[in-house]
Amino acid sequence: MNDRQVHKFVQRFLEATDCTILEKSPAHFKVKLSPYADRSLTNRPYYWSFVDRTGAEPETMSMLLVTDRTKYDALEAANEAQQEAQAAEAAPSLSSAAEAALGRSFGFVHGTMNTIRMPREEMFFGSRRLDQLFAASQAGGSYVYLFQEPERKHALPHDSTPYTAWLGVNMKVEFACDRKREELHSFGVSLASGQCVERFHDRLLDLKMTPKLPPNVHVTKNGISLGKAASAIEQTLERKLKQYDYGWAVQANEQLDEELARIRHYYEPLIQSALEEQKPAIMEQFDKRQAEIRWQFEPRVTASAVNCGIFHLAGID
Amino acid sequence: MSQPNQPTNPSRSEPNVSSRKLHPQVDWRFDRAWFDELQTRLNRNGPWDDWSLYQLAVEAEQASQVTSFDELRCLRCLPLFEPMPHQIATAGKVLHEMGGRAILADEVGLGKTIEAGLVLKEYMVRGLVKKALILVPASLVLQWVRELNQKFGISAVAQKKEHTWQYDVVVASIDTAKRDPHRELLLATDYDMLIIDEAHKLKNKKTTNYQFVNQLSKKYCLLLTATPVQNDLDELYNLITLLKPGQLGGQSEFAANFVVDKRLPKNEDQLQEALSAVMIRNRRGDGGIHFTKRIVRNIPLTLSPEEKALYDGVTSFVRERVVETVADMASMLSLVTLQREVCSSREAVFLTLVNLFKKTAEDSPLRPKIWELVENIRAINANTKAEKAIELIREIDDKVIIFTEYRGTQEYLLQFFRTHGLHAVPYRGGMGRGKKDWMMDLFRGRAQVLIATEAGGEGINLQFCHHMINFDLPWNPMRVEQRIGRVHRLGQQHDVHIYNLCTLGTIEEHIVNLLHEKINLFELVIGELDHILERFEKQEPTIEQQIARMVAEAGDGTELRQRMSGLGDSLNRIRTEVLAEEPVEQEDAIAKLLDGAGERISMEASQ
Repeated sequence: MNDRQVHKFVQRFLEATDCTILEKSPAHFKVKLSPYADRSLTNRPYYWSFVDRTGAEPETMSMLLVTDRTKYDALEAANEAQQEAQAAEAAPSLSSAAEAALGRSFGFVHGTMNTIRMPREEMFFGSRRLDQLFAASQAGGSYVYLFQEPERKHALPHDSTPYTAWLGVNMKVEFACDRKREELHSFGVSLASGQCVERFHDRLLDLKMTPKLPPNVHVTKNGISLGKAASAIEQTLERKLKQYDYGWAVQANEQLDEELARIRHYYEPLIQSALEEQKPAIMEQFDKRQAEIRWQFEPRVTASAVNCGIFHLAGID
Repeated sequence: MSQPNQPTNPSRSEPNVSSRKLHPQVDWRFDRAWFDELQTRLNRNGPWDDWSLYQLAVEAEQASQVTSFDELRCLRCLPLFEPMPHQIATAGKVLHEMGGRAILADEVGLGKTIEAGLVLKEYMVRGLVKKALILVPASLVLQWVRELNQKFGISAVAQKKEHTWQYDVVVASIDTAKRDPHRELLLATDYDMLIIDEAHKLKNKKTTNYQFVNQLSKKYCLLLTATPVQNDLDELYNLITLLKPGQLGGQSEFAANFVVDKRLPKNEDQLQEALSAVMIRNRRGDGGIHFTKRIVRNIPLTLSPEEKALYDGVTSFVRERVVETVADMASMLSLVTLQREVCSSREAVFLTLVNLFKKTAEDSPLRPKIWELVENIRAINANTKAEKAIELIREIDDKVIIFTEYRGTQEYLLQFFRTHGLHAVPYRGGMGRGKKDWMMDLFRGRAQVLIATEAGGEGINLQFCHHMINFDLPWNPMRVEQRIGRVHRLGQQHDVHIYNLCTLGTIEEHIVNLLHEKINLFELVIGELDHILERFEKQEPTIEQQIARMVAEAGDGTELRQRMSGLGDSLNRIRTEVLAEEPVEQEDAIAKLLDGAGERISMEASQ
């Protein structure tokens, strides 16, 4: 993710979570968080449990999110210089004198000091705040139930478009030994016909989706159960993965065997020559070392879902 | 659904997980937890999540996806920090060729911490490490926590209470960790990664530290040490056994195959090969690792008559006191301090004298003597050194850091520079973290001069400055080296200029003479000094105490000169001993062995 992509991601996150953007530029956002965003980003569980229990009106935090620090700093420096220049031009006016006097008598704080506290957060790929946004997106975007929005209004009020329900799931496949790589796969299975398609998420991105059932739409009857659909996905993925090259895993296994042989070579004579009462301790250590090595090198492939949902799409497929 | 990628061996009994084989050698798990949850929500008719967040979640996953086995992904996550090429090469080798278990044995000052941080970060980014334990000497705990947090964005926590162990990345001192109640907790935990700094302290397998570390359960493991062998090849064997038991065979095999004498290896090629599979050693002077030069200039100064009068007064006062009371070490040190302070500034000595005055009984004959000295101070109205310093700074016309031992001098210099229109900021040990950082920022920005009383301590990296003035010198050579190390370190682009202000006819002259002429401290190789001092102070009081005794006891300048010169000779002797204690070829054999193990990596780094 480059700076621009990060910027766009942040903006869409703020919009999706109903935050109030107070100020923005291509390099930053000043934002008042929505309760949802505050809960997931500010790490204030005590405050929120207080709000939840007492029903108090929540006061959410504001933040300055900087997505391009060099640009933002330059911008700020320029602004500051401009303000200083303006301040220098304006002669000490009555109002500032008055303000100072007010300040002395009433503890009045000058306008510039009176703004809300706005902690600055650097948003770059890898920064902790952005990782939090990632996690919050995941937490708030795991299971959906959506309908495709019809492209245009129907001419006839009583005409009804048939929709098909799809099970869609985005899967992360992890190939791991002591090293690791990942793949993302997106599957969709029509609950009407049982057909399974790949790159399903891309197809969804071209459509407009809504959580409400649009008017003049009817959903065709499901032909297969959800369980069957899930199995279809599992089988498709498995078939696909079986075609892969597992040279890396063979290599990892060779390494694993080598390492196991190495510690066997070390521990076995040790156990043999040890005093009887010491043997259990050494055996235990031997077992532990073996377990560690398996843990480290054993090749494995796991698939888990990023998120999933039921999608009702126009047409009978 | 956002469960962390637990890289542990899967337990096979979970009902919602299918486990088969994709390939005769590859286990395959298909997680069905998502399906159960979806079904539940369907039955309850919700709640349903937001479509935009759903899309963002996929994008986040795409951005974080680990696309290849071999790339160093963590580098993209660290835009604020640029590791050196040899550090990147080292991390790459540990990750891709050594399976994450290695001894990092770079020479001092090349950034072993950075290398370890890179490896840890990479594993974390890849989801292969979640729980990590970092064991370091107590004095380094906070430094590690800061480095990991600031440089690597890793939320590392310093172990304080028992519950701290729950955090994912914990830095602790090994002496705490091995004690109850912590011990049981740690031994019951599986650590994805274990890092041990100053690992040469684990050279003896009979120690409780060694046995404790040996019992820890870990997947990846890094041992950091600049000196994998100090006395004995067995030390190396023990270290490697912690990491990979059997790598050098069983103990008796190792002795038979590789050891002639405790410091003399045989079958070097074979041993070296076995070593380079588990150890990486970068050296100064390797390709790509470049230290700039140190250029030292002593600036002799003559005290003004008033200053000289004060110095003489204090000196004879000190001498009388030493003769009167058969002084113990502590009071001797504090008396001699008076003399050192006069050489620095009248402000420094003034405070000490006033305190001494207050402490002395009212009817003591000493009181008027002390007061006489205080009166002497009044007569002084210029500081020869400070004036020279200003002249120097103007001449340098660049950022300068000034080190002094005394608060009084620091305050005075701040004041003095201000009145001469020089922008200077202070830095001292007592400052809070925030204030220290602020002072550093000021120095990086507007201020031309930083006046520091503290050289040690973490976090002062001053590579952007390459001039330093020693307004006065500590008597402990290690502290001098620490001062220089703030400026002269990896990443410094320029030659470093070191100016020593030295007043003639005072103890200072002797100290500069000792440190500069005799042991050539300023040009010693980084790390060499440790060894010399370690040996020197083994049987005797510290070097600082020895000097203090000499100064206090020596009758006059000539006698002092002789005794100092004797001290310098014995330091020099040790230095030669350190280098040549063993027959040359043996020393070479071990060095060659260790260095050979690192050769490949440094070649790579230099490309």
